[in-house]
This record gives sequence, structure tokens and C-alpha cells, in this order.
Amino acid sequence: MLFRTHFEIFKSIRALLPFVLGAFSLGLVIEVNELMKVFGKVKALDGLSFHVENGEIFGLIGPNGAGKTTALRIVSTLLLPTSGSVKVFNRNVVHEASDVRKIISYLPEEAGAYKNLSGDEYLGFMAKFNTPNKDELKTVVANAAEISGLGKRLKDKVKTYSKGMKRRLLVARALMNKPKLAVLDEPTSGLDVLHAYHVRGIIKQYVREHGVTVLLSSHNMLEVEYLCDRVALINKGKIVAEGTPAELKAKYNVANLEEAFAKVVHLA
Amino acid sequence: MLSGLRNIIAKEVKELIRDPRILLGIVLVPLLMFPLMGFMIRTSQEAAMESMKNLSVAVIDLDNDVFAQNLTDFMEFYGNLKVETLDASSIDEVARDVQDSNVAAVIVIPEDFSENLTNGVRVELKVYGVFRGGGIAEGGAFSAVNSPLQYFEQRLVNQKLGEVWPDPDIVLNPIEISPKSIVKGEPVDVSPDTLFAVAMTQFLGFPLAIMMLIILAMQLAATSVASEKEEKTLETLLSLPISRFTLLMGKLTGSVIVAVLGAVATIVGILYYMGSFAFGASTQMMVDLSAIGLAPGLFGYAVLGLSLFVSLLSALALAVVVSVFAEDVRGAQALLSFAYLPLFIPMLVLMFTDINALPPTLRIVLLAIPFTHPMLAARAMTTGDYFTAIWGIGYVTIFTLAILYVAARIFATEKILTMQLRLRRRKIREE
Repeated sequence: MLFRTHFEIFKSIRALLPFVLGAFSLGLVIEVNELMKVFGKVKALDGLSFHVENGEIFGLIGPNGAGKTTALRIVSTLLLPTSGSVKVFNRNVVHEASDVRKIISYLPEEAGAYKNLSGDEYLGFMAKFNTPNKDELKTVVANAAEISGLGKRLKDKVKTYSKGMKRRLLVARALMNKPKLAVLDEPTSGLDVLHAYHVRGIIKQYVREHGVTVLLSSHNMLEVEYLCDRVALINKGKIVAEGTPAELKAKYNVANLEEAFAKVVHLA
Repeated sequence: MLSGLRNIIAKEVKELIRDPRILLGIVLVPLLMFPLMGFMIRTSQEAAMESMKNLSVAVIDLDNDVFAQNLTDFMEFYGNLKVETLDASSIDEVARDVQDSNVAAVIVIPEDFSENLTNGVRVELKVYGVFRGGGIAEGGAFSAVNSPLQYFEQRLVNQKLGEVWPDPDIVLNPIEISPKSIVKGEPVDVSPDTLFAVAMTQFLGFPLAIMMLIILAMQLAATSVASEKEEKTLETLLSLPISRFTLLMGKLTGSVIVAVLGAVATIVGILYYMGSFAFGASTQMMVDLSAIGLAPGLFGYAVLGLSLFVSLLSALALAVVVSVFAEDVRGAQALLSFAYLPLFIPMLVLMFTDINALPPTLRIVLLAIPFTHPMLAARAMTTGDYFTAIWGIGYVTIFTLAILYVAARIFATEKILTMQLRLRRRKIREE
């Protein structure tokens, strides 16, 4: 009897172990399990599962309409899952949404900034939500100003900015608080080569320096290969392949991720 | 929570005020337009008065006798008119020339004018006003010609009566009507006409001002939500660590602040506009309202303020709910125009009648509209019937809470993002 009880305790500990390890030892930042999202008759996500580990840059790649943005919006607490679960630092994005919002920073794909505020004012406004302390606020905004690389132009109103400048401002906004998790939807979308290069550089450097975990989505396979530690190929709301860029290239015996992706989607 | 709210409000006010469309439309235009209108009206009035001073009249004298001479002298001395005698035998001879001159009117004194007047036979005096396109100045000129003629006639009447009665004025006006009023069960020494004029400014002015303020605030609230969608800032805002209710309240408060600013600008503009008129009438209309118990007390203002506040809040929440369905600012304004209908109905009805004079069904419909209640409260300030006003505050508060709840629900869930998506998809299917 005693033995049996002990055995059961042992069993339950063993059963819990992956979760405990997952949350603490292995440092799981995002756990997505069997995620479904239905809009009317459209199934945007169809049993999506993946996880992101602490300190890594994880890329979701896939064609238009594959469900990347929907997945990122659910992780960022903007949309509710139809079924399945998403945890960020072991917090449920549905029931503990306000806790999740404190530790994440989300950059939407087609984001804008308040055009009648100056770049400085915009950063200040955004920073105040995470940093109520005035002295810290100054540091955070100065930090953001440096990330953006916009210099004196930060004094100008956002409506005078080019698309590239606006995106740099928004990326700086997303990273300035050193969030535990940054969710970046197409961080370089619509940018020319130079602006995109700058933004990628910022993300890579910032993550290394401050241990920020990043979940990003992209169309640009070059970008993904350069930035991501691991990627998941997503098609029709499902993960069709997952691994490091090198693993995926080796697995499908191709020269680059673009080819791997084409092959996987074709096979699917 | 509080610092977050302050942050949102500060941003809302900055964004709204710096938006050229809003700054121009809500603050600058009323501040400039009304005084400008007043200035234009005053200038044209002054010009009309100036032209009145040099008014000239032409006379065709077919009588050439004593009364004709009296009449022209009278026109000159009492009417302050320049009288020009034309050498003609009928109007047809001079009509064309007169049209091109600056003569305001032509008086044709018929043959036997003096003889008939002396013998007690009625005479016809033809007065041709020269029409040059109308306008207030021309109408004024014509009455400036007419009034000395009427005065001349009255003098003749008095003269005739004076031959029989010692005081002809008593014969003409044997009864003096002295209008007074009863207010709140007390007789007061003020004519009802004056009271009605005072009341009209409140009954017309208050509903108009209230409606303007509410429409302004609704437009601002809708703009503030819809522009977050248009400028693609909403998603970022919703992912921030701030409660959605705080976000909603921040938007509503920001809109109220800017709306009040706009209302103040409009009122200042209108006051200046009213002050521009050269009418002496407004001073005559000044009645000591507190002496006759019609001046609103502190309680009245408190009731009006409270009623206005809750209905403003309900209008804002309604605007937010409506604008959630729009994709951009233009769409939100278009959707919002439907919400103006329940605003116009009580305003128009209450401008012309008392709510108690309406048939019961219409009264219930009107009372169900929250915007009716601040207008009723404004009226209660003069009538002292606060029962309906206080009851209305209770009703509008419940209505507001319900709408606020709906708005908060929409803000708290994914609906604020997906509603628009659904609408868009439906549109595509229709195409």
C-alpha cells in the first residue's frame, strides 16, 4: 500500500516533470498546443503546435494566408483561440492575458505610429506603460532613440517620416523595454535593402546583448536564415516542418530555405 | 492604472488637437467664422443705414395745390428725404430714367388731391418703389418713404377729429392694453411677449448648443477609435500592458476635453456674433429673471450639468461602439450620421412644443432617447419642474452604463479587431 502510494507519487512527478522542466530548466518561453482558430467558415489555424526556447530567435515562415499573423496575434493576446492552448512563460494567453502583456512586446506587420506626435513623443508615450518611473523612462527612450538610429529626426512629427524611418521607430519601440519576448510580424516588411539591413542588425544585436526571446514571421528566406536559430514552416494553419535552417536544408537536400519551403509545400 | 489613464488622455488630446482637420473644424472655424459673419452683417447694416441717410424720392405733382405742397415739405422735414419734383404728366414718361437713377421711390400726387382731401373724398396716392434686385437696404428704403406718408395721414386724421373732439388720441385709442404675466402662480409686471422672447433663447439655444456639443464629442470619439484603425496603431495599443477599460475611458475623456474646447470656441464665437448686431432690442429684452423667479439656481445648473454629463458619456460610448464597425475615419463618420437622427428628433420637437403636449406614444419614444433629457433639464431650469429631469438622469445613467458595458466588452475581447474583418469579408462576398 505504502509502496503503491510512493509509486503513484513518483508517477505523478514523472508526469509533471516535462512541464516543470519545460517551464524552468529548459526555459520554454512559448508553448503552442493544438491551436485552432476559425473565422466564420475559414480555418486560419488547424492544430498548430510549436515551442520557443529562452533566448532564441524563432521564425514562422509560410505563404500568404498560411496563418502566421493569426498565430502571432493569439500569442500577443489580441485574438482568442477557438481551441488549443498557448502559454507564454507558463502563463495562459487567454486567462492571464494582462500578465502576458506585461512581458511581451508586439510589432504588427502593418503597424503605424501616431502621425501627429513626434518620434520622441511616440516613444515616450509607449514607454510609459512599462516604465512609470521618470528616470528610467528617460533611459528607455534614449535607448530607443539609439536603436532607431533616427537621431535629430526624432524631434519631427511622425507624419514626415518615410516608410523605412517609421518601421525603424516601431522596431525601436518594440525592443526598447528589453521585453522578455518580442513578437515581430514581418519586421522588415516593405523596407528597402538598407533599412531592412539596419533593422535585422538591430534585432540580432539586441537579442544577443539583452537575452530577449524573439518570435518572428517572415516571407524573406534570406532574412530568416540570417536571423533565426530555429524555424517552423507553416502551411494552411499547420506546421509542416521544423528545425534549424541547417537541419532543414540537410533534411530536404536543398541549397537554401526557399527551396526547402517549396519542396515541403509541394509535398504537402 | 491612473498614470496609464493620464498617459492615454494626454496622447488623445495631443493627437486630436494637432490633427489639422479637427483643429480647423472644431476650434478655429467657429472662433473665426461667427465673428466674421457678425462683422459682415454689421458692415452691411451700417452701409444700409448710411445709404438711408441720403435717400431721395421723386414726386410727380399733378395737383399743384396746398396739400401737395404740404406733403412734399413733410417728406423733406419729417422723413429726412431728398425730394425731387419731376416735370412729367404720368409715371410712364419717367419710369426708365428713374430706374437708372438713385431714387428710392416715385410718389404720384393725383389731380384734385387737395380738393378731395378738403371735401372728405378718399384719394389714391400711388407710390412706386424702385426695385433694383431686392435686399434688406432696398426694403428699408421703401419703408423709410412709407412711414412719413403714414404719419402725414395720421396728422390729417387728428386735425379732422380735433375739430370735433378736444383730445383725438383718446378717440383713436380708447383702451390701453397693459400686458402682464403670471409666473409660478405669481403675477409679475413683465409682458408675456418679453418672457417668451427670453424663453425662446433658452428653448432654442440650449437644445442647439447641447446637440452641437454632443455631435462634436461623438465625432471626436469616433475619430479617435477609427484613426487607430486607419493608422494601424490599434493592434500595438491593444497589446500594451494597460486594461482595455482604461483605454476606453482614456479615449472618452480625451474626446470630452477636446469637445468642451470646441464648444467653448463655438460659444465665444456665437456670443461675439450676437454682440455684433446693432439691435437695441436685446437690451429691452433684458429682464431681471431672478426677481420673477425664473433665474436658474445652483440646483438647476447642477441638474443640467449632471444630465448633460451622462448623456454626453452615452453619446461617446455609442460613437465608440459604432466606430468599431468602421475601417477608417471616413467610414466611422458615415456610420455615425445614422446616430445623429435620435439627436435631431428631440431637438426639433422640443424647440417647438412642450413634451407634455405630445401624444403619449410620441412622448414615450422621445423619453426613451437619452439625448432628450439634457434638453428637458435645460427647460426645467426655467420651469422648475425638476421631477422629469432627475428621473431622466437616472434613466440615462442606466442607458449609459449599458452602452459603456457593450463598449467595454467590445474593447476587452477580440471583437474590436475582428468585427471590422467580418464586415470586410461580407463586403467581398457581396461583390
